[in-house]
Amino acid sequence: MADGERSLILVADDDKDLVMAMSIRLKAAGYDIITAHDGEGAYEQASQNKPDLIILDVRMPSGGGFSSIDRMKHSLNTRNIPVIFLTAFDDEEMREEGRKLGAVGFFRKPFNDDEFMAAIAGVLEHKGGGHGGF
Amino acid sequence: MKVYSIAYLGSDNEAVLGLETALKGDGLRFMSAGADYQGMQRAVDFNADVLLWDKENLPPDAAIPVEELRKAGLSRQPIVVVLAADDIEGAVKSLAGGAADFMFKPLREDPLPRIIAALNTGAKQRRIDWCNRVIEDTNDQVRGILATLADPAYIVSPEYQILWMNRAAEEIFGEGQRGGACHHIFYDRTEPCEVCAKTRGSARWRATLKNGKSYRFISAVMRNSRGEVEKLAVGTDITPDQEVSKIHKTFIANVSHDLRTPLAAIDQYVSILLDGLAGELTEDQANYIDVIRRSSFRLHNLIENLIDANKILSGDYKLTMEVVEVSDIVAVVHDRLQSQAADKGITMQVQVADGLPPVYADKSRIAQVVANLAGNSIKFTEQGMLQIRAGFMPRDEGRVIVSVEDTGIGVPKEDLGKIFDLFYRVEKDKVYVEEGAGLGLAISREIIRAHGGTLWAESMEGMGSAFHFSIPSYQGQAAVR
Repeated sequence: MADGERSLILVADDDKDLVMAMSIRLKAAGYDIITAHDGEGAYEQASQNKPDLIILDVRMPSGGGFSSIDRMKHSLNTRNIPVIFLTAFDDEEMREEGRKLGAVGFFRKPFNDDEFMAAIAGVLEHKGGGHGGF
Repeated sequence: MKVYSIAYLGSDNEAVLGLETALKGDGLRFMSAGADYQGMQRAVDFNADVLLWDKENLPPDAAIPVEELRKAGLSRQPIVVVLAADDIEGAVKSLAGGAADFMFKPLREDPLPRIIAALNTGAKQRRIDWCNRVIEDTNDQVRGILATLADPAYIVSPEYQILWMNRAAEEIFGEGQRGGACHHIFYDRTEPCEVCAKTRGSARWRATLKNGKSYRFISAVMRNSRGEVEKLAVGTDITPDQEVSKIHKTFIANVSHDLRTPLAAIDQYVSILLDGLAGELTEDQANYIDVIRRSSFRLHNLIENLIDANKILSGDYKLTMEVVEVSDIVAVVHDRLQSQAADKGITMQVQVADGLPPVYADKSRIAQVVANLAGNSIKFTEQGMLQIRAGFMPRDEGRVIVSVEDTGIGVPKEDLGKIFDLFYRVEKDKVYVEEGAGLGLAISREIIRAHGGTLWAESMEGMGSAFHFSIPSYQGQAAVR
């Protein structure tokens, strides 16, 4: 991403209403958005468009967030894209699993909007080495 | 009056004569017979209370004919051995062999004191024998009951040696394990398990055994008739409970996931509208959307409280224990609730005793309890004050007491015993409060209980309430939940 360009964020969640709302919020905050609604779609979008950040739901059809990130981290194309998980599960083991798979953040739905936006901004600013809400 | 019967078994006429002379008196009767089976039978017919057994010309190491006496029916009587004056070894061996006393011939001393002492010894011995029989019988009964259990039971020595196993235990660990080390045979360990090594008395633990099933064990210390300590352990198969618990956990995880998911979308669209991303709102529209935002927040809190209550009340949670100052906990709650109290015009005071030791506790959980109690006080107080105090527990300096007191409406006497019950709500027309699902006090009580403490309440209707809990102070050693 060159200076002055808008960051591209992939939002992948099977809750289409939530994806639309997040897209509106994130676009208003100055980001470009692409979306996916299942694990396979998330991987394809990530491979083709190489977004600057991926917001990934844990439980989705055709491969959940964990299997998507696993594929992305094993692909040269996508391995360096930071991933923030978003899930309505409240499970410490799940959070730990996400961390092990290389995610930089983990948010639980419903999430605090200010903290979520701050985490996104923080990760994009220090892309690759940032911390996004763990 | 009780008459004591003394039987001499032997053939020494001189001894018989001496005894007959000495044992003539009220309350005594005497007989003599040969030391053979017939003589023993006569002593039985005579209802002898004490036996004088003449060792006669038997060698020094000859023992009292216990077996013959028992067969004749003379096993309960104390025996005084009569022997030759120079048979010191015989006297010592007779006492070692169970004699109550001995007398040397010729009988120069009055034999009566020795016979009375023997009767007394016999009575004591009979009581001991009876107690031992009861212990043996009870142990046999216990083993008999345990033998029929479908779950494993076993007895081990203090040296961890298996003394006995029931059939169910043998089916898991194999037969013929008696004498082996329990930790080795049960768990393939070279050292004793921690629970046994650290616990002298009764203990509880959970273990997965070689059959792949999970058991909850309870052990108790017993004494056998020889006074030796043995440890009895009985297991209960909790595999089905664990399976149900796993299903329950998955169900709750899925339900809570599905309840939270739409809230995220509601929050996002409310923010879009309130931020004007969908166009300018009229004042009324903004107000209505703010109602949706607050309702969503309440619904979110209710869902989280229900999930939390489910976790705590089913024991499916872990305390994160640390050494923490009570003043820090109280300060957190004060900061959290200060503005809420001020909005209602209630004065909130905090007081922590000087020199109060820290506690070993889960800071956020104890803060949750204090916040819950203080939140209730704010809810049920229209004017006056709310005070949070922490100090030493009276008459028990090893504990810290935290009190939350208010000048609110109080709790009716008939409700005071029920307010800690799950879903219980005090409902009266004049004080009906919409918020609250009756979870807070039940959760609080469970959290305090998990810290080894107690939560209780005092109240006078119309005057106010005082909720107190006590938990152990930190004594330099980490307590275990």
